[in-house]
Amino acid sequence: MTLMSVEQLTKTYQSTNVVDELTFSLEPGKCVALLGPNGAGKTTTLRMLAGFIKPTKGEIVFNEERFSRDVRHYVGYLPQYPVFHNWMSGEEFLTYVGQLAYLTKHEAKAKAAELLDLVNLSDAKKQRISKYSGGMKQRLGIAQALIHDPKLIILDEPVSSLDPIGRREVLNLIRELKKDATILFSTHILNDAEEVSEEILLMHKGKMIKQGAISDVSETQGTTSIHLSFGDEPKFIEERLKEIDSVFNVNREEDGFIVTVHDINIARSQLLDLIQQEEWELTRFEIGKTSLEDIFMKAVTE
Amino acid sequence: MQWQTIFKKELTEHWRSFKWIWVPIVFIIFAIMDPLTMYYFPIIMDTVGNVPEGATMDFPTPSVAEAMIMSFSQLGLLGVLIAVVVSMGLVSKEVKSGVYELVLSKPVSFTNYITAKYVAILMLIAFSLAASLLVSWYYVNILFGTISFIQIVVSILFFIVYFMMILGIVMLFNSFLKSQGLVAFLSIITVVALNVVSSIYSHVITWSPTLISDYINVYFYSGQLETEIWFSSVAAVAITVISLIIATITLKNKAID
Repeated sequence: MTLMSVEQLTKTYQSTNVVDELTFSLEPGKCVALLGPNGAGKTTTLRMLAGFIKPTKGEIVFNEERFSRDVRHYVGYLPQYPVFHNWMSGEEFLTYVGQLAYLTKHEAKAKAAELLDLVNLSDAKKQRISKYSGGMKQRLGIAQALIHDPKLIILDEPVSSLDPIGRREVLNLIRELKKDATILFSTHILNDAEEVSEEILLMHKGKMIKQGAISDVSETQGTTSIHLSFGDEPKFIEERLKEIDSVFNVNREEDGFIVTVHDINIARSQLLDLIQQEEWELTRFEIGKTSLEDIFMKAVTE
Repeated sequence: MQWQTIFKKELTEHWRSFKWIWVPIVFIIFAIMDPLTMYYFPIIMDTVGNVPEGATMDFPTPSVAEAMIMSFSQLGLLGVLIAVVVSMGLVSKEVKSGVYELVLSKPVSFTNYITAKYVAILMLIAFSLAASLLVSWYYVNILFGTISFIQIVVSILFFIVYFMMILGIVMLFNSFLKSQGLVAFLSIITVVALNVVSSIYSHVITWSPTLISDYINVYFYSGQLETEIWFSSVAAVAITVISLIIATITLKNKAID
């Protein structure tokens, strides 16, 4: 079953195709990251999906028969720079948008309280929004997107403008939300996509250049390298590593060692055993795979 | 239900930004300023002095009708200005700041959005007009002579119809302009243009809404309501409705950029 399918979606501004014939579909219960450099057309795409702007061409079908009303009933949307009525308190604002989405006042209040709790703003609920910090506003923005229990949550760059703590909070929140809803969020930070999403859509200059499950896109066949780093470098480590029979070669890198191995599964347990036994201060153990960054760079320069 | 939600939010917003306090006060000042200064002018001149010895000053005291008309014409100028200023950002400010994007991401009907905002601001302006003109009527009755309560109430109601149209025009400009200043500027230009055209061709377009205040003046002088005031009012309502419909359609078709 597909929640939303998009066919040949195109938006043209002054004869340039900002979004160029996108075709993809969203499965329920998945978290999908829309990736792309700035100016790739991510925001325009999301705005079309949220029902703000009309596509020049193409179709957005929202679960065919089941949802025939205005798409905004089923979509929760967080713009890139959410702006609120700053004279309201967080609680008032949530109640207000809840009522706009056809909840009764009572329902809206109850839902607002629940969401304020979820996004950790209960303490600040009576405060005017003008006093909120950037991270608090972003969390309030997520809460307002959820107020009418949308089937699809669209978040436009939810973490880009946040400091590391705010970013962590929001990513955790997304992870929490994945349990009940489909999430589509855009970002230009590849790590964030890797961290919480199962699928990626990669856009560049309005076109879709890559899409699929994150594991399909990012894993390369026959991985044979492990990246190790240590806090305090143990003595004779290079020699000790080479003694392991599954290890083929050890290369010293700036921030540790790249260990080339024959069989990744055997090497993993042998290496971890050794490290445990010697109580080395391991800070990084990474089975080499192509990072999204590599895919991204490759796809963009192709 | 959604309409009431937006309407209540608008009332609260106007209340918290003190519009429900300062707009009526300013209107009251405009309304009573001229009748009071006219009445007390001789006394003021005496106290302030600097009148050369022997100069005889003969200021005719205005009639009741004249005094009451002064209030209306003050509000017809400055009141219109204030009405435009308080409503120039109703939509344009929300579009420009970006709140519009959040609000409209909910299934909000554009008709509800426009009309709820319109009715909320109309209530504020209608209240201010009624309050200020009733205060002025009170003083005029004390200082100049009697005007019947019915007469003042009827005049206020027609005057509100005129302001309905002005607010409708402001909403129209609100729907497609982002700059509040431009909204105000174009609204005022439009009202002035309407006034000029109507007074040049006043014998032809006797139904022009801008003539409502002229007909109110006649009403105070003669005590008789001109039939044309009804046509003017219908025209004002028609312009209002058309403006609001166009505003709704404009918003609906507008892409946020």
